[in-house]
Amino acid sequence: MAQDVGKQYEELLKKYVENEDETNLYAAQQVSRKFIEKKISPEEVISYHKTSVEEIFPDLSARIGPSYDFLIEVMIHYGLALMEHQSLIRKQEALQIEMDVAVKVQDMLLETSIPQVEGLDIGVVSKPAKKMSGDYVYFIEQGNREACVAVADVMGKGLPAALCMSMIKFGMDSLRSQATEPQHVLGVINQIVEKSMDDSMFISMYYGKYDGSTCTFTFGSAGHEPALLYRAAEDRFVELDAKGLLLGIRKEVGFEEKSVVLEKGDFIVMLTDGVTEGRNSDGFIDEEVILDMLRQVKEQPAQQIVDYLYTELFKMQNYMLHDDFTLVLFKKE
Amino acid sequence: MDNRSSVEIFTEWDIVAARQLGRNEAKTTGFGTVDQARITTAISELARNIYLYAGKGKIEIERLSTNGMNGITIIASDEGPGIPDLRKVMEDGFSTSGGLGAGMPGVKRLMDDFKVESEVGKGTTITATKWLR
Amino acid sequence: MNLQVDVQEKDCVHVFRIVGEIDAFTAPTLKERLDQVADQPQCQAVLDFSEVDYMDSTGLGVFVAFYKRVKAVDGSVKIVGLNKRLKRLFEITGLDDIVEIEMESRDVNGTV
Repeated sequence: MAQDVGKQYEELLKKYVENEDETNLYAAQQVSRKFIEKKISPEEVISYHKTSVEEIFPDLSARIGPSYDFLIEVMIHYGLALMEHQSLIRKQEALQIEMDVAVKVQDMLLETSIPQVEGLDIGVVSKPAKKMSGDYVYFIEQGNREACVAVADVMGKGLPAALCMSMIKFGMDSLRSQATEPQHVLGVINQIVEKSMDDSMFISMYYGKYDGSTCTFTFGSAGHEPALLYRAAEDRFVELDAKGLLLGIRKEVGFEEKSVVLEKGDFIVMLTDGVTEGRNSDGFIDEEVILDMLRQVKEQPAQQIVDYLYTELFKMQNYMLHDDFTLVLFKKE
Repeated sequence: MDNRSSVEIFTEWDIVAARQLGRNEAKTTGFGTVDQARITTAISELARNIYLYAGKGKIEIERLSTNGMNGITIIASDEGPGIPDLRKVMEDGFSTSGGLGAGMPGVKRLMDDFKVESEVGKGTTITATKWLR
Repeated sequence: MNLQVDVQEKDCVHVFRIVGEIDAFTAPTLKERLDQVADQPQCQAVLDFSEVDYMDSTGLGVFVAFYKRVKAVDGSVKIVGLNKRLKRLFEITGLDDIVEIEMESRDVNGTV
């Protein structure tokens, strides 16, 4: 087999040195493709060339033969570099497959269904910057009277953040029926995270509960970006901030708990810093820009508002996400 | 056995001597130019590792003839620090990224059979064989 | 983007003057410098952010890790010279409640 390509090479070279025709060079290109296909190394190609030259110019071979040996010696390392490269590519492919599986596992962990609560319209969008997300949204529904939501941002992106996130998931699951009071929820999750996280990691989390019977939204924050409340009657935005330290830094932390009553047309936007820290070519996207966008679509259903905001901000960032992006919107109907 | 010969490695010049010995033996065994170059490169890498990491050691070359198969074996041995993490040195991209050369995976690729025995604090013996086809 | 970290020791207090943006690319530089003092018993550190415009969550992670290590050896960390944006970051994260923050950076240099 190898002899065949060697012979082919010799014939081609012979033709070319006779008439220097472009057709032969085109054929040479095909041969090189065949060489690569058959995994013939660079040093072997030179060896074919040497043999061919010896056949075509027998009287020259004694003089120039050693120069080819020299070249073969030089090319050995190129051959090795090529093989190493190919092996690294195979490794990368294997990693890719593992990664795809991990993404599927994460998707399962992230699965949450939007609560159906009378008088409340909920919209959510969460997009990872890389394959795996460090942002986390989790809904809990109590009857059709109460809707709770946790929006968390694990420091960093990708795999490490995703691994960390599973802790919150299991923390929330273990709470389930008692997962209503923000203070309590944040305190419990902090205990879990504090015990088992690397020193340089931390999580910020916003937790809110909407009670349909009183139209009250109660919230707490563990070092998370404040939510925004749009007051329809006054056409203005209010920050819903509550004091609280990031999760995973200290064992004993107190979390402030506040509440607001929603009126018709009011909405609350909970977000992660991927939304507020979006960058375009001129620097950061101003918060005012985001508020203006929200105003423009304030009459639309919650899901359409968050979808619109995501699309617009994505465009403004030249179709690139630098950070995981999450928006949750609670709108009073 | 007279089909076994060796070169002690103390200085960088000894690497050249080991190469020369290996090339002659490979030629005698009947290897073509490309395989001669491969065997020599492998010897070069192994001798260089001895020179750089162990300070001194030995390269032995043995011509083989078993069951009608001919080949050549390189045995590189030293009493140096040994290799603490074998898996790491056998990984692609480990030694090459530092520009140290083809590294152990390179030697493994250049030859047909490859075996490392290493004990930390005692030394390393690497045996690599190429068969004539 | 480059990050520069100058360290000066004065009366057993390590003063880190940080210049540049702290993000995923530059945070390792800061970490390396902070690591050098983090485990000294009762380490006293002052981090001067007057010439830092921006710090992302990776930078915050480096700071949090440093804070934890210093606390573990009964040391203290003080932060000076935060701009508006960074001040907000420390407030939102609740870190302003556990770390001493001074708004004027001139005080540490003794050039009041």
